[in-house]
Amino acid sequence: MRESTMMQLQYVTAVLAIGLVTVHLLMQGVLVPYGEAVSFQHVLSVYRDAVDGALLEVLLIVVLAHGFNGLRIILLEWRQGAVWTRGVNWVVLLLAIATIAYGTRTVVLAATGQVA
Amino acid sequence: MDGGELALRIQRFDPSLEKGPHMELYTIPLKEGMTVLDALLYAKDSLDHGIALRFSCRMASCGSCGMKINGRPRLACETQVADLGPRAITVQPMDNFPIVRDLVVDLESFFEKHAGISPGILRKEDPREQESPSGEYLMTPQELDSIVQFTYCIKCGLCSSSCPTSSTDASFPGPQALAQEYRFLKDVRDEGGKERLDLVDTDHGVWRCHFAGTCSAVCPKGVDPALGIQLLKRHVMAARSPMRRKSKGRSGAKVFPNPNKDLLKQP
Repeated sequence: MRESTMMQLQYVTAVLAIGLVTVHLLMQGVLVPYGEAVSFQHVLSVYRDAVDGALLEVLLIVVLAHGFNGLRIILLEWRQGAVWTRGVNWVVLLLAIATIAYGTRTVVLAATGQVA
Repeated sequence: MDGGELALRIQRFDPSLEKGPHMELYTIPLKEGMTVLDALLYAKDSLDHGIALRFSCRMASCGSCGMKINGRPRLACETQVADLGPRAITVQPMDNFPIVRDLVVDLESFFEKHAGISPGILRKEDPREQESPSGEYLMTPQELDSIVQFTYCIKCGLCSSSCPTSSTDASFPGPQALAQEYRFLKDVRDEGGKERLDLVDTDHGVWRCHFAGTCSAVCPKGVDPALGIQLLKRHVMAARSPMRRKSKGRSGAKVFPNPNKDLLKQP
């Protein structure tokens, strides 16, 4: 993938993350009293709501994609060399996929009532 | 100003003999209009012939005497001692380059990076015109205005020595080369579009600039490399965008016969 494509992804996810985190905080910290919003049962109910659950999943993907791409950029500037560059690109991609998969698993388990 | 004294601290280092640099203090008699280069040359001529420094034109045109003066990259020939405040000046070699000796740094990698961006007009249709010109490529004043500041670069290396990305990423082309790449990409006479994009749209290319802006702050010729790099990013992003309208192709500048061609011929 071209570096300009990766940077497009970085910019788009940055803007999306700002918007989604704002919506998330408004929904959980303003519309619902904070003490209630962080209770276990309320958190579960958020996952079970189709719209809120989907928002959390999108937020998860956006923030992790942005964060891992940022980590990749830092590592590329830290050291140089073709092997290092290829290694960093692949390792960070696999780590991002694994983390997103683990997070998605949590979202799915909570949304389908498998976490009580 | 005549009559006073200047305390000039110079960083000395010979990598072939010493493990690390040290500072040496020289007392220089001040003169009206004295530049840091004048002070250094006085020290070299009268106090210590062993001081190594690079200089040539003494008028901020050649870019040879770039060094760190009181912590800031500057040209020694255009830096007035009187402008530096207290009568104590510290001179060190530029950062981000290996030291050859004292104030002389190795600029080979800098010029390699400059050469790496194909710093010349690339033409596809009329390569013969490049070898034996029959006329001139014309451009409008507006087209010239959009790139002219970048043509003032004297390749002194001050921008790259101040760049935080250049200090950590040896593969980063640096502000000088990237600004020059923008200058040629936007030159209507140049047809190297895609090749030029491929040169900078890489893991260690234009995207590694974090817009610290130090390159523009230290440029002795008033060039704004940071602006050039941001414009280059925008150009690359637009050119690579899937939503980009299909271009009808760049018309480029056509060759117009030189009306004075006959006058230039040798009798």
